[in-house]
Amino acid sequence: MLHGILTLILFQFVGECISKLFMLKIPGAIIGMVLLLLFLMIRKGSFHALDNAVFWLLRYLPLFIIPAAAGIITQFETISNELLAILASLIVGTFLALAFSVKLMDVLISSKERK
Amino acid sequence: MNVDALIAYVMNTPLSWIIITLSAYKIGIIIYEKTGKNALLQPIVIAYVIMLPILLLAKIPYKQYFDSVFILHFFLGPATVALALPLYKNLKLIQSYFLPILITLVFGGIFTILSAVGILWLFDASKITMLSMTTKSVTAPITLITAHDIGANAALAIGFVVITGLLGALFGTFIFKLLKIKHDAAKGFALGLISHAVGTARAFEISENAAAFSALAMGLVGVFIAVVLPIVIGFL
Repeated sequence: MLHGILTLILFQFVGECISKLFMLKIPGAIIGMVLLLLFLMIRKGSFHALDNAVFWLLRYLPLFIIPAAAGIITQFETISNELLAILASLIVGTFLALAFSVKLMDVLISSKERK
Repeated sequence: MNVDALIAYVMNTPLSWIIITLSAYKIGIIIYEKTGKNALLQPIVIAYVIMLPILLLAKIPYKQYFDSVFILHFFLGPATVALALPLYKNLKLIQSYFLPILITLVFGGIFTILSAVGILWLFDASKITMLSMTTKSVTAPITLITAHDIGANAALAIGFVVITGLLGALFGTFIFKLLKIKHDAAKGFALGLISHAVGTARAFEISENAAAFSALAMGLVGVFIAVVLPIVIGFL
């Protein structure tokens, strides 16, 4: 467990350092994630120590979001001023995007399988 | 007995807010499990409903609350790195449908941003709302670490992410019937692409295969948008 947590924090740290050093606009944790992905692809085998830490972190992931999400109490003015725009964007936007994506993928898979 | 000292301690210790936050989330998990893991009753939604009135009634400045529960926030970074593992496990799926995945990822990812921001633009919404809407289809930890870089409001962005997740799970079945979608891979991939983890929870109800494609899409679109968006917005 500790081994896994340490591995994740090390990858995050290296990602943040790379982001700072090269003045990248990509968040350091994303670079850390891609580095870990590459590491796993090169290593191929399983990595049990990592499994436990990852399982624990991802299981409680929504909990870690609450501190930032609670900031919504400072945004009631923006929300009430633009409520209609926000609702339209979320409801119509999500409906269209889901319909577009699923149809696109379905057609692409069908045409691939016909070949 | 020193009642004043007790009250002063309870009001000022971070423990109080950590206990309230963990309890709200625990109640969320209990309700989620008691209702047969309905994708729409996510623990975080229930935690939100419990936490917001408490925060408002307590009249606590947001910064004080955030500092009290910062220890939870800290884990977002390692959790983002941890997303590499489910992505790695589902990566082999890419080989089976390489082009459909690549094309849907790029066009679906761009479409979800442009459609939402376009509607806001039609309504003449503010810039901060539009920027906060750009990450609506990205899984929440990636949204949070990206929000700061693109000048979005993190709390608004998270609110939009959670609602987009719920709406995608809600619309899914109807859209798939309406458009006569044949492949579970397409259903799962679209759910993960647009509605991240909530969509993936919904995809589990369709099939294992759909869930795997959903988890893959969630990871890919998170990286895609987190890498491309700050660069594109930097040029605007």
